[in-house]
Amino acid sequence: MDEILVQIKNLKMYFPVTSGIFLQRKMAEIKAVDEVSLDIIRGETLGLVGESGCGKTTLGKSILQLYRPTSGEVLFEGNDLCRMPNKQLRPLRQKLQVIFQDPHESLDPRFTAADVIGEPMRIHGVPKGRARRERIEELLDVVGLASYMANRYPHEFSGGQRQRLGIARALALNPSFIVCDEPISALDVSIQAQIINLLGDLQEKFHITYLFISHDLSVVRHISNRVAVMYLGKLVEVADRDELYKAPLHPYTQALLSAVPIPDPAVEAQRSVIVLKGEVPSPLNPPPGCVFHPRCYKVFGPCATVVPMLTEVSSGHHVACHLYSRASPSN
Amino acid sequence: MSTVLQVSDLSTHFHTQDGVVKAVEHVSYEVAKGEVIALVGESGCGKTVSALSIVRLIQEPPGRIVSGQVIFNGTDLLKLSRQAVRKVRGSEIAMIFQEPMTSLNPVLTIRRQMTEALEIHRGMKRQEALDEAIRLLERVGITQAERRIKDYPHNFSGGMRQRVMMAMAISCQPQVIIADEPTTAVDVTIQAQLLEMLHNITKDLDTAVILITHNLGIVARYARRVYVMYAGRIVEHGLAQAVYHDPRHPYTEGLLCSVPRLDEPRCVRLVPIEGQPPDLIAPPLGCQFHPRCSQAQDQCREGTLELVEVAPGHYSSCRMARKE
Amino acid sequence: MAVAAESARPHHTLWGDAFVRLRRNRLAVAGAIIIISLALASIIVPLVSPYEFDEQNLNAILEGPSHAHLLGTDGLGRDVFTRLFYGARTSLAVGIFVQFIVLAIGLPIGALAGYAGGRVDNLLMRFVDVMFAFPDLLLIILIRAILGGSIYMIFLAIGLVAWVNLARLIRGQILSLKQRDFITAARAMGGSGPYITLRHLLPNSLGPVIVLVTFGIPRAIFAEAALSYIGIGIKPPTPSWGTMIQDGYNNIFGAPYLVLFPAIAVGILMLAFTFLGDGLRDALDPRERR
Repeated sequence: MDEILVQIKNLKMYFPVTSGIFLQRKMAEIKAVDEVSLDIIRGETLGLVGESGCGKTTLGKSILQLYRPTSGEVLFEGNDLCRMPNKQLRPLRQKLQVIFQDPHESLDPRFTAADVIGEPMRIHGVPKGRARRERIEELLDVVGLASYMANRYPHEFSGGQRQRLGIARALALNPSFIVCDEPISALDVSIQAQIINLLGDLQEKFHITYLFISHDLSVVRHISNRVAVMYLGKLVEVADRDELYKAPLHPYTQALLSAVPIPDPAVEAQRSVIVLKGEVPSPLNPPPGCVFHPRCYKVFGPCATVVPMLTEVSSGHHVACHLYSRASPSN
Repeated sequence: MSTVLQVSDLSTHFHTQDGVVKAVEHVSYEVAKGEVIALVGESGCGKTVSALSIVRLIQEPPGRIVSGQVIFNGTDLLKLSRQAVRKVRGSEIAMIFQEPMTSLNPVLTIRRQMTEALEIHRGMKRQEALDEAIRLLERVGITQAERRIKDYPHNFSGGMRQRVMMAMAISCQPQVIIADEPTTAVDVTIQAQLLEMLHNITKDLDTAVILITHNLGIVARYARRVYVMYAGRIVEHGLAQAVYHDPRHPYTEGLLCSVPRLDEPRCVRLVPIEGQPPDLIAPPLGCQFHPRCSQAQDQCREGTLELVEVAPGHYSSCRMARKE
Repeated sequence: MAVAAESARPHHTLWGDAFVRLRRNRLAVAGAIIIISLALASIIVPLVSPYEFDEQNLNAILEGPSHAHLLGTDGLGRDVFTRLFYGARTSLAVGIFVQFIVLAIGLPIGALAGYAGGRVDNLLMRFVDVMFAFPDLLLIILIRAILGGSIYMIFLAIGLVAWVNLARLIRGQILSLKQRDFITAARAMGGSGPYITLRHLLPNSLGPVIVLVTFGIPRAIFAEAALSYIGIGIKPPTPSWGTMIQDGYNNIFGAPYLVLFPAIAVGILMLAFTFLGDGLRDALDPRERR
């Protein structure tokens, strides 16, 4: 029915930790993304949430081959991006774009706004001249920036404006898929709403599919169609947005949602928070079995030894938790 | 409830190459024993600078506390000598910062840092101080405190470092804790852990807390009274319930409408506050918020604004709010 | 839906901004003036001075400063004033040309090491380490012995020793820049290695490079003076401040001015470049982080 735009299969991104002067020996591995399989449907916004160290940013970059995955497949338009050499990937990059978190860092301080937006065109051979200039003006307008700002430098813009530049740049070559890596986390609250609205408008106008990576659950709920939750490199739950927020199944998701305070004193006075014990373990040494089990308040028998698989529990709702897997072995 | 700390008409300016930045202008707030108040606002609104001014941590050039009083236990902290303020700072008024890596000395063990404070401010002997430090670490939820106290800050994760900071903050049994964005740098589940713990501890010790943040959710959960700041001034203040349910300043209203909430049905479009935060060197005349305000009138462009009581205990500086 | 720009400050290009800041720095400006004046003086000296730099006058040996010879004469009756300003040419030439060699060798090596990383970086840096560890003077003498003593060979010799610092600097700059998001953005757009290096990495490394090159000039000047002093530098009769000091050394007690004037000249020029370099470093400091 719905067309799948990007299909991720068993993606692993392990970073080796090496030592040695001339010959570098691998001492250990950071399992940043550990066997993730996910489908991204054309036209949707898939929210990817999790806390620091869960691997969501690494997953986003691995999909775009900015890190070359250790193993697994990323199918885009029928081609496996992981198997493609850089030369072959380049033309595809017009369709796969990214928006970064830090508006201070994601723009070259020596490029004017026009340079920034024009760069994708320059790289992909759109010749200089009227066509390019017009497109730049068009893009500035689309993201809500005045055209006279084209000659300004990033430091002359505010954070929110820089983020708009980053968005304009991502749009330059009409991408079909954009990975939004925490695009509003570094912005003031009053500016965040502006950018969220902008991203929503652009999606409607240009039929873009988003992978929206964020740790802010309220924002993800607002903008996503479906949501995936990650913990320590693994996907723990994937569901339609309303389903996830109303009836989260995985204990981590439940704790995560409960930890978000609601800006309403009357509501908060009634609400109690699930407080997880302990800290997130190091991805160098993830716990055996279910990676969440040491902190899980519903832990039982198989959790410490058997890795739970991501299974579909109800239509569109997948969980990786022994509480829900019918086939879990008894002690 | 007895007032423990009272800030009156505080103004702090910074002299920079480009002009005088009026970071804090005529700000007044107070906190009572055992009470939690919140200073809410976005970056640049002056909330942190006002707190640093209380404990005189402002770099004197280029900064300058231009006017005001900070009455703590009957004394004006702004009039004390540097030495006297140092005695108060850290022991009677403790601070918790956002970035624990920069407030903890990276080359000293936690043991050194904690026992030093205990020995100096509470006059303990070394063994006594060590025992107390271990007890404090356990109180803030650090397991195996006896072993971990010998570690360095970099051996701890971000959440743990904040706990250490909290342990150090409460070590001298302060009357006031100023927590400046204490959980902005940590994940949401760690934030829940830290804030619940801080809440419990300060309730037990009856400590007053000034919570500085831009996060409207944690303010709603933990603060009794709220001061909303914009461009260096307080634009609205009152009980949290009053301010949230009946905001009387367009900025507060704007903030509340622009933040998506987990419990409410999704509104299809968030209502952002248009425009950009103001330039503090040359702020707009009249009401600083008027260029971005959807309800601005001519009278908003001139004159000075004062906080007026628009409902019992609820103050706003918006001229429109008084009409109701 | 256009959002108005709130920038009340006038628009400056990055270089324009740096230039304005440089101008405000009095020492840097003074340094620049000294350098330019010396350069001009060294060019117009044949028009001003009645003497040639190698004109010997055996009747006027070792005369102190006088009406006829403003700064006196040396052991062969040559006019010190004339030789001093001719010598400026040599010093400036060495200082500047050496930097070209330094850039030509150090830039590509450092850039390659920084961008490629991994084994290439490892290999190149070990090579750089070896070069760095080798005593400069010995290497210069060796090169000089092989390549001869013309002024171009002096440039080469000093240059071959001096590029190491620049290579390291560039590599460091590129390593830190590589991590930044705007570089990842360029890769995400499909930019190739050479494109990213030329369009992003090098321009953003320019600041420290310019400063290093500016400081490198007085070091090269001093190196030449030292070489000439110990006799393996510029061949006579071409005047160089180093050779002048060497010549004058034999008569240092009788005619101290022979050593004093060139020594002071070296000092002043080096100081001027140092002030300029300091000023450039401050002016080019990324003030973008407002």
